[in-house]
Amino acid sequence: MNALVFYTLALFIAASALLSVTVRDIFHGAVWLAMTLLGIAFLYFYLDAGFLGVIQILVYVGGIMALFVFAIMLTSKIGDHKIPQINAQFWPGLIIASVLLAILLKIIVNGPWMNVRASAVIIDLQTIGKSLVTTYVLPFEFISLLLLAALVGAVVIGKVKQ
Amino acid sequence: MIPLGHIVILSMFVFCVGVYGVLTQRHAIRFLISVELILNAANINLIAFNKYLGTADGLGQIFALFIIAVAAAASVVGLILVIAVYRLKKSVFIDDFNLLKW
Repeated sequence: MNALVFYTLALFIAASALLSVTVRDIFHGAVWLAMTLLGIAFLYFYLDAGFLGVIQILVYVGGIMALFVFAIMLTSKIGDHKIPQINAQFWPGLIIASVLLAILLKIIVNGPWMNVRASAVIIDLQTIGKSLVTTYVLPFEFISLLLLAALVGAVVIGKVKQ
Repeated sequence: MIPLGHIVILSMFVFCVGVYGVLTQRHAIRFLISVELILNAANINLIAFNKYLGTADGLGQIFALFIIAVAAAASVVGLILVIAVYRLKKSVFIDDFNLLKW
């Protein structure tokens, strides 16, 4: 039962990730990306990382996907079926990605992780909050600085110049 | 509980789909979608390793949290760049983005 949930979820994530880069209409691609991110959020819930799952849904499915949809709407003229969506590097790109996948699969299948089972340690929200403001407080502050810089940078770049 | 390797294989697949998208797609927003897939594959790995081999302070989950924040900042700047270049060149295809090429 437990394993069935994971494999269904894995199939869903893999299929929607593949569709989000291969489907023709960019808007459909964005919707499939939202499905992928939602599936990954459920995978986080499955792996006892409930806080990360909630953050994933809030930030990705709620925030970033809205931005993607806005950007797609603001840049029109893409629904035309005569415009190719794939560049001249289609076959080299496909071969490189497949070879990379094959190499990584070989490493993982031969590696030590195929038989590792889950530990009993469950990290609750209290632990995460405590280490976020004690041990890892410096990167936490840097993240807020980075978000501020991204915000100001986006406003400056997006401003219409007179 | 399923073995750790199966989750890592899922994350590798998502990563390679992202690499394929970055290498082959012409549309700039599709490019950003692929980058998001790559970052999410890294996050799946972090959460899975944290669950299976992690320590008690939850470093993997905190690191994943930081990656989500960095990905949000990256996609905001990336999308606004696409919109700014679209205003200038009236195109969203990466082939036409050659403004910095002498």
